[in-house]
Amino acid sequence: MRPDSATGLRLAGAQTLALTRRSVFTEWRQLGNVLPGIVFPLLLAAVYTHQFERVILLPGFPVVDSFLDFVLPASLVQSVSFGATEAGTELARDIENGFFDRLRSSPCGRLPLLLGRLGGALVVAAAKGVFIVAIFLAFGAEIAGGPAAAVVIVATAVLLVLAIGGLGQVLAILTGSQEAVNATFPLVFTSIFVSSAFFPTNLMSGWFRQVAEANPVTWIIDPIRRLILEGWSWSDVGQALGVPLVISAVTVTMAVVTLNRKLGAS
Amino acid sequence: MSASAVAHTEGLGHVGGVALAICGRGMRRIRARPTLIMPVLLMPLIFVISFTGAFGSLTRVEGYGTDNVFNWMAVYAALQGAVFAGVGGASATAEDLENGFFDRLLLTPGSRVPILVGTMAYSALRSTIPTTGVLFVSVLGGLSLAGGPLALLTVYVATAGMAAVFCLVGLAVVYRFRTMRSMILIQVFGFSSMFLSTGQVPIHFMNGWLHAVARVNPITNVLRFARQGFLGDLTWAMTWPGLVALGGMSLVSGTLAVWQLRRLAA
Repeated sequence: MRPDSATGLRLAGAQTLALTRRSVFTEWRQLGNVLPGIVFPLLLAAVYTHQFERVILLPGFPVVDSFLDFVLPASLVQSVSFGATEAGTELARDIENGFFDRLRSSPCGRLPLLLGRLGGALVVAAAKGVFIVAIFLAFGAEIAGGPAAAVVIVATAVLLVLAIGGLGQVLAILTGSQEAVNATFPLVFTSIFVSSAFFPTNLMSGWFRQVAEANPVTWIIDPIRRLILEGWSWSDVGQALGVPLVISAVTVTMAVVTLNRKLGAS
Repeated sequence: MSASAVAHTEGLGHVGGVALAICGRGMRRIRARPTLIMPVLLMPLIFVISFTGAFGSLTRVEGYGTDNVFNWMAVYAALQGAVFAGVGGASATAEDLENGFFDRLLLTPGSRVPILVGTMAYSALRSTIPTTGVLFVSVLGGLSLAGGPLALLTVYVATAGMAAVFCLVGLAVVYRFRTMRSMILIQVFGFSSMFLSTGQVPIHFMNGWLHAVARVNPITNVLRFARQGFLGDLTWAMTWPGLVALGGMSLVSGTLAVWQLRRLAA
């Protein structure tokens, strides 16, 4: 007898939850892997705040009390990006060590196989996001948009992890190799530096400025920064959440399609 | 020639021979696995492109010291590359420790020091690859040699020295913990030490604790020594503190590495 759709959904939800919990426990057991993603962005923020104080006086630089306010979105995005490919890496590890095949032979649905891993990455990203924002606030940063803007900022970071994680899963399914997924890290790292993360694009010049302006990371960073520096704006909220949401929809769909093709071919 | 003098000469020949063999093995490893050099070359190139592109308008701030951002950032990126090259040398030893090859090296007769010297020489030699890459890209970007060709020599001396220092620090840690995972400690240490110096801005741009740390950070002197030829003429006043800093760091890290090697071999 086929289960009705409500039962099927409940089952898929329970499976996703179970795999998410497994993924979070895996991260918890390897806290050493999470720490560089927190320590390094905070160190960079601390250094930049103390070395770029003269820079905020440059004509064209946004009006800020301190470089700390300006660099908050960069640190947040950098921090969550450090572990963003983890959903892909963990999936590749499951493929490498055969756990994925065991899951496939169980009555577990295909979608929970992917969503479980992504769920774990999202929980870790949310925890990192809250921690980073709290540290910045403790050191004197101010979010002009208030607590609601802080929630939007963390949610944006979580959605960004979903977008990158989906891409990591596509690579994991295609290659089945952790090394191949990890090789995307320099790409993520570079895309943050070649954006408005650490400096406003209007103070850049030449091809670098054009690339930075066309970089989706800039489209995500800029509205977050306006929420921090200027205050609440629905259009900024829409852009901050919308851009990573659209990219996530594309990458997660790609992951599902790739998995279906792979399993269909095998 | 007396018997003791002959033995001494043969001893030195043995040390040189083993060190050369270890260094040559490392270079052959790069030839066999060119992907090993990619992170060492790629990351400094990303740095020089990102930092000059993003922070180009720093030269508009009064007192920056140059109107060409490549003259400031190229040396910083090259030294970062040297740190990666040094850590990479120690990583090769970590791999040897994990796969048992190092135990076989320890079974060979003679002093253990040439093993360490050879690895250090391999790291220093390896650092020429990112240094050349960074200088090449910087010349394309407009790097000028105000101090003449000697400016290039100071960069190569500084990067080889930094690679040797960070290789020795890495070896001290690797000999102690005997795992590849321990290399993350050195990567974080190397990265942080570079950021806590005058890598991106002159010291008078900094304030608070960062100013105090950068002032006593020996890497600041190494940067001054390596950068002088891009900002003006070479002077002894800028040269000797850099050489002393390199010598001091080598002495401390070398002592630590030899101590840990003796513990490992005991």
